[in-house]
Amino acid sequence: MTMTLDRLKALLDAAVKLELATIPPYLCALYSVHPGPNVEAVMVIRSVVVEEMLHMVLAGNVLNAIGGAPRVSGPENAPRYPHELPDGVIVDLLPFSAAAVESFLQVENPDYKADQSADDHLAPRRQTRHAAHVLGVDDPPTTIGAFYAEIIDGLKELTAQLGEETVFCGDPARQISGDYYYASGGAPVVVTNLTSACATLEEVIEQGEGEVSSAFDADDDLAHYYRFEQLKYGRRYHSGDGVGVPTGPPVDVDYTAVYPMLPNLRLDEVHDPDLRAVVEAANQQWSLVLIQIDAAFDGSPSMLIPAVHTMFRLRDAMLVLLANPLPGHGTYHAGPTFQWLDPAAPSPATLVTAKASS
Amino acid sequence: MRADLSGGATHDVVVVGAGVAGALLAKRLTTAGLRVLVLEAGPETPWSFEGYARHLDSFFAATSKGAESAWPPAVGAPQPDSRDVRSGDGYFVQRGPQPYGSTYTRAQGGSTLHWLGVSLRMLPEDFALRSRYGVGRDWPLDYQTLEPYYRQAELEIGVAADVADQTYHGIEFAPGYDYPMQRIPQSYSDLTLAAAVDGMETTIGDSPISVRIRSYPAARNSIPRNGFRPVGAVDARTDGQALARDLGQRCAGNTACTPICPIQAKYNAGKSLAQADRSRLQVLAQAVASKILVDAGSGLVQGVEYKRYDDPRSARHAVHVARARVYVLAAHAVENAKLMLASGLLGTSGMVGRNLMDHPSIYGWGLAPTPVGAFRGPQSTSGIDDARSGAFRSQHAAFRVDIGNDGWRATTGAPDTTVTEAVNQGLYGVELLTHLRTRLSRQVRFSLNVEQLASPDNRVTIDPQFIDPLGNPRPVIHYDIDDYSLAGMAAAKRFYQAVFARAGIDDRSDPATGVWFPTVTYEGEEFHYHGMGHFAGTHIMGDDSSTSVVDVDQRSWEHRNLFLVGSGSFPSMGTSNPTLTLAALALRTADQLETGLRG
Repeated sequence: MTMTLDRLKALLDAAVKLELATIPPYLCALYSVHPGPNVEAVMVIRSVVVEEMLHMVLAGNVLNAIGGAPRVSGPENAPRYPHELPDGVIVDLLPFSAAAVESFLQVENPDYKADQSADDHLAPRRQTRHAAHVLGVDDPPTTIGAFYAEIIDGLKELTAQLGEETVFCGDPARQISGDYYYASGGAPVVVTNLTSACATLEEVIEQGEGEVSSAFDADDDLAHYYRFEQLKYGRRYHSGDGVGVPTGPPVDVDYTAVYPMLPNLRLDEVHDPDLRAVVEAANQQWSLVLIQIDAAFDGSPSMLIPAVHTMFRLRDAMLVLLANPLPGHGTYHAGPTFQWLDPAAPSPATLVTAKASS
Repeated sequence: MRADLSGGATHDVVVVGAGVAGALLAKRLTTAGLRVLVLEAGPETPWSFEGYARHLDSFFAATSKGAESAWPPAVGAPQPDSRDVRSGDGYFVQRGPQPYGSTYTRAQGGSTLHWLGVSLRMLPEDFALRSRYGVGRDWPLDYQTLEPYYRQAELEIGVAADVADQTYHGIEFAPGYDYPMQRIPQSYSDLTLAAAVDGMETTIGDSPISVRIRSYPAARNSIPRNGFRPVGAVDARTDGQALARDLGQRCAGNTACTPICPIQAKYNAGKSLAQADRSRLQVLAQAVASKILVDAGSGLVQGVEYKRYDDPRSARHAVHVARARVYVLAAHAVENAKLMLASGLLGTSGMVGRNLMDHPSIYGWGLAPTPVGAFRGPQSTSGIDDARSGAFRSQHAAFRVDIGNDGWRATTGAPDTTVTEAVNQGLYGVELLTHLRTRLSRQVRFSLNVEQLASPDNRVTIDPQFIDPLGNPRPVIHYDIDDYSLAGMAAAKRFYQAVFARAGIDDRSDPATGVWFPTVTYEGEEFHYHGMGHFAGTHIMGDDSSTSVVDVDQRSWEHRNLFLVGSGSFPSMGTSNPTLTLAALALRTADQLETGLRG
């Protein structure tokens, strides 16, 4: 398909949303772990999820650099779960488990053939799927790799055709720099031209999949895919290890020391009024984070400071949900649903109180 | 026990102690191409991320969250503990007449592992106390000489502050300079207090004082300036697994600076050590320096004897000797002096171990008229600096006020004790919650840190009767608080009472219901004082070998290849927390060493 600036913007907008969509599943796994054990697993998941946040910002910077406007808030932009990626990989909201690790491996490396046996109990919780935004783009790429390759090629092609100044016409004030964004496997790159745009996108690809032939990237960092392999194999990679053969010290993984959250929970399945209020509170905090991210992309990067407070409140609500059994669902616990809920709507707590007193 | 007492120099410099001074020297000297051996008495656990996590677990598990709760000592490297001040039977042998109230940590990273992070410069006048006010001692260098090194120290440590807030009492900054990071936001409590008292006029002695609630420079990560990269957690794993270094790139307000920052957003010396050129750095932990070996003829140091233990729970050890061209003692004010004394290096001045100082401090605590959000944010973010300077300094001590964000934690053991008290009153359920919400959120705490002058009678000595499990001497402390400081304490008390009254804060300071602290009496009034951990003066610096231990470069007068660095070199401390100044001095000494050893 012919590359145009509009298509490039559509693809980059989808890239921002794609990176965002990977975050809630990692957060579910991260916060479902009981305090104490699984120290290494927690570090691995945390290190990956913060890099996904960086990737979202990087993709947003590229989109802003070419005059686009990233959008992640609102019912039409926020991700929904289960979430289907272009290559057919389905991303679910799962507690830390063998199935979750299989899914993370697949997200990070499309060539990975997931162990389907870990998948069985998931089928009934996946009946309604939501397509990733990239699938809504005309003539969509069929893999994540092809997706980013098309963006990079498109940037080069358009720059050659139209000139760098025409393509990179975005307002530099809309770039998010290291002042307000931090602690995520590197600082964001301010994108102003083709070189910085390509370097930025290549960083996203490298941190995710890594090199095919080596677990370690040029900075001697272990790519996400291989970090998760360490959890699958229960052993750490050593510098120089062959792919798929970690030989380092053992990694303790205990899937029983986890709150058994019901996969892909939806708000309409939560009938207990107290739990429902917390699910709604979590959804409002999540929605507020998305609004704050949009504001940051819109030239107010300092909005990421209050966004940190919102993320802490989201975490607190998630921890309450995960620690509580879900009535009517056997041994399953509650969890966050990551559904859009307008934060300006009356607070759920008020609704619950009003209902209780009526 | 096996002694290996032979062998030549293996390094250019042996540094005793991996605290802030030792770590900065190790970083500077290795980067300059010199080979450095660091001997650390305590364990290295805080330096690995997993080890640090174990210290965090110790803190979580401790019922009392004191300064030492995260940092249990090794048998071979015992350390003072706050609880021992009352019992009098700890590591320190307290000879009085007053107990010395401060503690320090013997572990890789030193006391920066549990400091609050206050990184004040000293006032220019603090360097010339004798000339200016006729009390205490002058320094052999002035503020202007140290100023470039203050800037370097602020960069190395990573200090967050705005020059616009810090230009007072004659403090000057190089043109165009600002701190590497923006100031940590002031707490809601600070802002509430500022709204009530900023601009308040009062007097101390005859000096008029205009009160201002002021943000202070903190070694906690914040929004960077000019491309500075905030340094987060130490995670030196080399196998691509250093996943923790993303932690702590900004302060998250965990209200646990002391005793342990859970995310390492606060500086600790391990960060500087991790930035050293590792190919030229050797760090030996659990290696307790026990004797400095000196050539009787030349006075030059020929080696440092140290006792190495494998198991922190055991006193089993072997004796070795480390040899280099130059030796630096950076073991702490008390440990430096103790090591000199144990080696028979008393010096011609007789000043080794003498002039021990601290900031004897009092608390004032009360209930604000409205909620101020106590127990949120870093343990403190602002202070009052207006009583640090004034003509009254010729009569009595200056003082600085630290304004807590942690309620009455330090003064009464809140919030736990607040809960216990309420439950004992018969409160429960919604009533209890409401009570706690209204009480805890209104708790205000001032800590008033009073200046202390160098006095030769306040001293560290050793006594063969008192040894630790490795056979090294324990510090024997002689300590008193003189009328100069006591009068300052009395002034500090009147000052906080006036500020409380202006702000409508109900003064609840009641030593009878608070945490126990030792008492002193001045003009019939009793004061309960605590130590600030600000040890200084034990190897005082000067320009005359008959009255000081080290020269302006912190170099021993008698042993020209021996340097004693740290706050032990301070002739006076003013009202500044000593870390930034000792870091600046260490960097200045590093410059001298680099030139001397390469030239």
